[in-house]
Amino acid sequence: MTEPPRADDSLLLVHAYLDGELDAARALEVERRIASEPALAAERDRVAALRRLVHERLPPEAVPAGLAARVERLAPLRRESSWRALAASVALAAVLGSGVTWFALRADQTDAVADQVVASHIRALMVQATDVNSSDRHTVKPWFNGRIPQAPRVVDLTHEGFPLVGGRIDVIGRTPVPTLVYRHRQHLISLVAVPATAEPPWQHRASDGYNLVRWRDGDVAYWAVSDLGAGDLDRFAQAFRTAPSEQ
Amino acid sequence: MSRDGDKERFRTVVVPHLADAYALARWLTGNRADAEDVVQDACLRAFRAIGGFAGVNARAWVLTIVRHTAYTWLGKNRPACLIPVEDVSALEEEQARHGTMPDAPTPETALLAKADAARLEAALLALAPAFRETFVLREIQGLDYREIATVTAVPVGTVMSRLARARRQLFAAIAQDTP
Repeated sequence: MTEPPRADDSLLLVHAYLDGELDAARALEVERRIASEPALAAERDRVAALRRLVHERLPPEAVPAGLAARVERLAPLRRESSWRALAASVALAAVLGSGVTWFALRADQTDAVADQVVASHIRALMVQATDVNSSDRHTVKPWFNGRIPQAPRVVDLTHEGFPLVGGRIDVIGRTPVPTLVYRHRQHLISLVAVPATAEPPWQHRASDGYNLVRWRDGDVAYWAVSDLGAGDLDRFAQAFRTAPSEQ
Repeated sequence: MSRDGDKERFRTVVVPHLADAYALARWLTGNRADAEDVVQDACLRAFRAIGGFAGVNARAWVLTIVRHTAYTWLGKNRPACLIPVEDVSALEEEQARHGTMPDAPTPETALLAKADAARLEAALLALAPAFRETFVLREIQGLDYREIATVTAVPVGTVMSRLARARRQLFAAIAQDTP
């Protein structure tokens, strides 16, 4: 485009900037223009004021209990699920009994862990994402001390676009494990650290609308789960892996 | 897929987003009782369609169904609430031609901060549905532009201009009514 930007386009860019839609280079450019053009600064202030207003005056409402119950009746919890689980464990016992393969168990465990990681993430989205709510890793990490044997590695990824939201404890199998919660735009990412097993070092999977990435670091296996796209979740995983360790 | 499988998927894909579904329905219909009807209809539709869900963004999928259901429901039960889409397009084209956003005056932020919940709610419900849904998806539900474009089935550029217009109409409405 050779035309100079119209005033409207500048305003749209201010909105896009405040919505976190611009890449770093364009965001910087808009910041410079806001600093030098009072009309754009005023627009920024109005958008921010309106956002605060919505946040304060229109808090989220709980789903009416009657509605939740009617939706629940569409898909009632199945009684037969325990039978299916029992059948599966009988089948597994048969496989183990025949001494066929150790890997079958491993693969099965990975599936089970994936399911529980997704389940914990869903619960976090619905009820409470964090037990300790802080963007400061020096608050989050010590919180785990005394609750579980080993506090997780906590890194600051704000500059990579993944601010820390907090942490919680999930239970995978019967083991309490540390889970860190990061955010990308409005998407939450749960990063669950479980004791590692001998599995491929890196894998992706998608499960009912959630993406998972799993990788291993020493004796810890990390599971990242989110409704973020696979590309963004990969970027998060890479950022976490390559971030310098905390002091 | 088996019916049990469908139920399980429904619980994983749809149920976690019930609060979002209710919030969108509430702002599209303008009241809570209608929103309950819409969400129930939408959940039924989602349940029937769950076997075909293959996407990654469950929330966007659910909200797309809620939005569609809400407009169908409004067309049947509250036809006066709906502005035909052509009118909105005409309005947008008109503004694009003139190259301005004619929603002045632009108030001081102090004025905005004083508005109460009832005032804000009324101003929001006074927006045309195309602008209201864009604003609600962004500021109340926190979707990004691409997700909003998916849910409302318009290009990202249209999302941008609708959002800016919705905000400016809200500024103006609130400034007018706040002493």
